[in-house]
Amino acid sequence: MSFSRIIVKRLLGLILVVLGVSIITFIVSHLIPGDPARLIAGDRATDEIVANLRHTLGLDRSLYVQYWRYLSGLVHGDLGTSIRTSRPVLEDLKAFFPATMELALVALFFATLVGIPLGVLSAVYRNKFVDQIVRTISVSGISTPAFWLGLSLIVLFYGRLHLLPGSGRLPDGIDPPTSITGFYIFDSLLTGNRPALISSLRHIILPAFTLGFVHLGVVARQIRSSMLEQLNEDYIRTSRANGLAKWTVILRHALPNALIPSVTVLGLAMGDLLYGAVLTETVFAWPGMGAYVVNSIQALDFPAVMGFAVLVSFAYVLVNLAVDLVYMVIDPRIREVS
Amino acid sequence: MRDLTEWCTKHLGNHAFFKKENHDMSIRIATTILLTSLVGLGSWAKTPADSLVLGKPSDPQTLDPAITIDNNDWTVTYPCYQRLMRYKVEGGKGSTSVEGELAESWKVSKDNLVWDFKLRKGQKFDDGAAVDAEAVKFSFERMMKLGQGPSEAFPTDMKLSVVDPMSVRFTLTKVFAPFLYTLANNGAGIVNPNVLKKADAGEDAKTYLARNTAGSGAYHLVSWQKSQFLVMEPNPYYGGSKPAFKQFTVKIIGESSNRRLQLESGDLDIAEALPLDQLSALATKPGIRVQEFPSLDVTYLYLNNKKAPLNNPDVRRAISYAVDYNGIIGGVLKGQAKQMRGPIPEGMWGYDPSAMQYKMDMAKAKALLTKAGASNLKLSFLYSVRDPNWEPIGLSTQANLAALGINVKMESMANATMRDRIGKGDYDISIGNWSPDFADPFMFMNYWFDSEKQGLPGNRSFYSNPEVDKLIRQSASVSDQKQRTQMYQQAAKIVIDEAGYVYLFQKNYQVAMRDSVKGFVYNPMLQSIFNIDRMTKK
Repeated sequence: MSFSRIIVKRLLGLILVVLGVSIITFIVSHLIPGDPARLIAGDRATDEIVANLRHTLGLDRSLYVQYWRYLSGLVHGDLGTSIRTSRPVLEDLKAFFPATMELALVALFFATLVGIPLGVLSAVYRNKFVDQIVRTISVSGISTPAFWLGLSLIVLFYGRLHLLPGSGRLPDGIDPPTSITGFYIFDSLLTGNRPALISSLRHIILPAFTLGFVHLGVVARQIRSSMLEQLNEDYIRTSRANGLAKWTVILRHALPNALIPSVTVLGLAMGDLLYGAVLTETVFAWPGMGAYVVNSIQALDFPAVMGFAVLVSFAYVLVNLAVDLVYMVIDPRIREVS
Repeated sequence: MRDLTEWCTKHLGNHAFFKKENHDMSIRIATTILLTSLVGLGSWAKTPADSLVLGKPSDPQTLDPAITIDNNDWTVTYPCYQRLMRYKVEGGKGSTSVEGELAESWKVSKDNLVWDFKLRKGQKFDDGAAVDAEAVKFSFERMMKLGQGPSEAFPTDMKLSVVDPMSVRFTLTKVFAPFLYTLANNGAGIVNPNVLKKADAGEDAKTYLARNTAGSGAYHLVSWQKSQFLVMEPNPYYGGSKPAFKQFTVKIIGESSNRRLQLESGDLDIAEALPLDQLSALATKPGIRVQEFPSLDVTYLYLNNKKAPLNNPDVRRAISYAVDYNGIIGGVLKGQAKQMRGPIPEGMWGYDPSAMQYKMDMAKAKALLTKAGASNLKLSFLYSVRDPNWEPIGLSTQANLAALGINVKMESMANATMRDRIGKGDYDISIGNWSPDFADPFMFMNYWFDSEKQGLPGNRSFYSNPEVDKLIRQSASVSDQKQRTQMYQQAAKIVIDEAGYVYLFQKNYQVAMRDSVKGFVYNPMLQSIFNIDRMTKK
């Protein structure tokens, strides 16, 4: 099956996923007891005011009608209007989603960049001192609460050493770069906005480290285990017997094969990073979707919650599609089977 | 370091960076680059003298004065809009009395139904347009048309008319004594009618006003980076005296430890909503002061008056005598609260310092329970995690009622669910906080006890007493404050005796700011709102 057919097939699947997610989120959010109109109008509002608001928001219509209206809007790219902020949900998500995505991508980049070499070293020096260190780091990564790690880093690097900023994405004195992708680092690079680039890099270091640290452990462990498997394979012994240098064998032959299962781990990690950034975003006052979604859930802001769920599932499916495509590129066997 | 370099040399091949002869220099250079890049990437700026930076835990939801009912939003909206009336500053302290802001003078008809306001000249919106009677009419009619939270404070059948360009008339169909006070409320902010002409105005300018300000206040919003910060600058056309700060920034920092750290580091001038333990720690830091003010924000227990056994006043009285008020204030609130003396809190006119106050008295409580003939009672205590104090207060009450032989089951749930159940009267005991929208005992007496307001709107204990109904409704329909005070105090005596609620405490409002910040005037009606037009930094 060609790349293009796979992509078309998966994109069709994507429509079903989004539809399924929208139906489930819609049903669940409407099953929760509580009246969003009452929450907006305030406890003290009279029943008349609440009823008026319910009508304005269309909450007095039947569930089918409400869902149909939502779906019709969704097809046209309209995610509705947030009950809580009175702004279009799409506009809110446009403001918050790139921040979360940028943080997740940088965290993933960090986890990969550091996790892979650590995993390789750990496997090559199995049960040696280096391995013990790497395993300790991995376990620490997996078991350290992001909340605690984030606060500790803030106290150290912001509070004590005054090296890095303690919150936000940019200070108020620096205008955000012209929005092209919504990612400040990328946009400031594209527009040549040096102050924004430097400042956004400084702001993202601590939250990305905090968020990526957990996945660093996962990646390192995964690579270690795959590398150990590969290093025991016949082709490695043959390569060594042919006189290839140790690190050439490890990096050019064993590592590419060991990376294949890690691609899956990274794909799944992306989903975790998108959903799991809430705590890190809170600690670092990172203007991502975390706080927006938590506040929306508390305010029973159905359109906002559904918009978030649809967008994240959309992104998640796309990332996994990318993972599958990467699989086909790096593993000829999968390409053949396909 | 030696181990690391040897290890690199041994295992990472022949790369120049790891060659033995280069390693010391290489590592030194690498370390230097890393550190200098981190330090050198930006200077550590403290807030300038002509700007004020406030740290808050959450972003405003909407900036539309006709929609927001949240003090967190009012931090931004209140200084950006003006109202017909404003709260007075008396002897350097904020008071609950009002005076004219946009209103230069006003008069009311003999029947207290027609209010005429003459507007102050020279007041301008931030686009230079004059604040006139049309703008006042537009703002109130828009608010009443939208019919959201803020409109609830005003009579629904109120009519506005323009008498002349600088005079506006409000006509009521029923006397509403607190009317003048409601005009100082955030919802009564006067909006520039030109917003309707904005390209992104949306229906009734809702879209535009949700994210922008369009008032005649001392400041106006110039930028809002969602969930990061809001920047306000002086309104160039402001009719009052020029404010000292060229910029007022509200930084959104969700995590309280982080807010505290930024205040200590000087990146914030004021930090709001810090927990008690952090405030105590900050109070000892040089350069920072923690200020405490008595607020009108009260916490009380709802006792379901329409459901047995709490429909018996003696059972309610017994519970009121069994609550450990001092223990709760000392233990849970760390002393930052004061026990209430009936429903009207201290600081609000109408407060009665001689009113009966329940004190913990288990013997009296037992006697009352025996008198009521109640035994082996099983009650539920409904609460949510919205306020972290609610659970410990519930646990304290549970323990004390257990000593009376009342078995209390704690029921924790999502706040939305809790509200739903309270509204339906599906509970025995529950808990809530209350703060007034306008400076009138009406906010406590009429809301809490009028049998027509039973349920979530106010009378959450489902209290009903025709005599009290008569007194509080009468008090809302006469204009003489002395007469009103008498009627409210008379009604308060009855409701205290009947123990409709358990009146727990009124909290202190605490805020931490740097010593350099001067001129903050706290007003109990304007919690989370700063008089930035009068504040300075030295």
